[in-house]
Amino acid sequence: MSERREFSDADAGFVLSTLEPDQLAEAMRVAVPRRKLRGGELALLWALRVYVVFMMAVVFWQAWMAAR
Amino acid sequence: MSQSWTVDSGEGDASAVVHKGRRGAQKISHQSRAGMSVGAQTGNKSRVATQVRVADAVVVTHEDIDRAQDRARVRAARMAHGLRAKAWLLWLLIGPGILVMLGENDGPSMLSYAATGATYGLGFFLPFVVLTFAMALVVQEMTVRLGAATHRGHAELIFERFGPFWGWFSMIDLGIGNFLTLITEFIAVRAGLGFFGVSPWAAILLALVVLYSALLSHRYWTWERLTLAAAAFNLIFIPVALMTHPPWSAVAHSFATWQPVPALNKNMVLIVLSDIGATVTPWMLFFQQSATVDKGMTIKDIHFGRFDTALGAALAAAAALGAIVVTAPLAEHISAGNFEAAQFAQALEPVIGHAGAALFALGMVEAGVVASITISISSAYAFGEVARKPHSLNLPVGEGKAFYAVLGLCSAAAGIVLIPGLPLVFVVLVVNVVAVLAMPPALVFLYLLVNDREIMGGVESPRWANVLAGTVVALLTAAGVLYGVSVVAPQALAWLGGR
Repeated sequence: MSERREFSDADAGFVLSTLEPDQLAEAMRVAVPRRKLRGGELALLWALRVYVVFMMAVVFWQAWMAAR
Repeated sequence: MSQSWTVDSGEGDASAVVHKGRRGAQKISHQSRAGMSVGAQTGNKSRVATQVRVADAVVVTHEDIDRAQDRARVRAARMAHGLRAKAWLLWLLIGPGILVMLGENDGPSMLSYAATGATYGLGFFLPFVVLTFAMALVVQEMTVRLGAATHRGHAELIFERFGPFWGWFSMIDLGIGNFLTLITEFIAVRAGLGFFGVSPWAAILLALVVLYSALLSHRYWTWERLTLAAAAFNLIFIPVALMTHPPWSAVAHSFATWQPVPALNKNMVLIVLSDIGATVTPWMLFFQQSATVDKGMTIKDIHFGRFDTALGAALAAAAALGAIVVTAPLAEHISAGNFEAAQFAQALEPVIGHAGAALFALGMVEAGVVASITISISSAYAFGEVARKPHSLNLPVGEGKAFYAVLGLCSAAAGIVLIPGLPLVFVVLVVNVVAVLAMPPALVFLYLLVNDREIMGGVESPRWANVLAGTVVALLTAAGVLYGVSVVAPQALAWLGGR
């Protein structure tokens, strides 16, 4: 069942006078423009990704050994 | 025919035109004072994140009305004068920081602190735990600024700013961490209530009832105040610690000298990782930023958000120190490695009596219940942001089906606790380690976002904050590497001065 209710003009005026425009739920649906990652940033992110994957493997290996 | 008028926006700098559309929905188009297509501006720095074209229409929702009501109270309090008005304003604006910090004092965290005290007593780990909360404060303050400046959640900013490839990596880290952590929260609830003879089924059912009751209001403000009230019970570890009549001179010596430092070995490294993971985890970033947005905080509120986070860190650190102090008398008398909450409580009975042990067990229950609420909410926020579904605690169920469905899915973790024969204690020990390992990449995204001039509206990180953030990343990575060495090549710890 839809719970959407009808709002009065006063409600709309109240919302607009109180919230910043980009705080409206509808405004938040507008996508933030993409930004290009620089070479150094990409290298750092990839290095940390390899680190996480390797370390997770270590954790699960330890869990496997403990379970045995 | 649509009806329209222009309204001065109270907290923003833009004006807006409202067109009354069909079926009662209000369509609103934004128009900046400069007459250009910018949703919000701060000084001369427009935020590309929030651009809405003049021609675009926006629907006023139930979520907007609720948020506007909260913000209207903040505006009224800000305009009032006097100490009482300032205190009221502070009361209105605190919440996400305290909740995230006390929420992170969760089941596995309190077990980790209890195991720390019971294994090593007082000494190195007392100041070390304070240091970990200082790290958490540095990290979480960035999420306050990011949420207040962009009005966007953490997950959506990563997805939209860096693309879905990196976004999905973050979500996978968050998903695995949250699911494992949720399991441990229900373990804590089960074990804590087990002290009172409550069956596992009844304990889990009770936890789920509390989890869903907190959501019934469909109102962020009510949810926040109810959860804050529940989270305050985390401070029960402080009076319980006082019941042990702690040796204050030894406590002071620990803080002054960080001594004695335990021998560097596999167990010590695990405790170090576990205590770090007890204070800084990925879900905290996602939760506090999204909660800051849902609460409607703006750039004007950032210093209140900082205070909120610092107060939360101080309270949570006090509770954590309480858990270490209370179990310190058990050091060298028990092997705490495989202890569950109820066993800690039982072991403490000779030290603090049945009443004290019961309070300790109740503290564990609270830790599990509050964290299960905050972690579930962080999952639902992140899912909603990524799937571009409505995501707010101000949403009625009908408008936020996906948001509330994710919260329902989180309760699946409760079912796992009831499967007989699973190595639950091991999950508890591992979950904080997983959190520490996942933090460095999460912090790099946070660092990049909080220094992004195009979205931060003039509140980017100053240099000193960047140095602190970089130090936290380096420390967490080093701790993770140390853990890896202790598992893969434990003999190598001897080279580092271990035994």
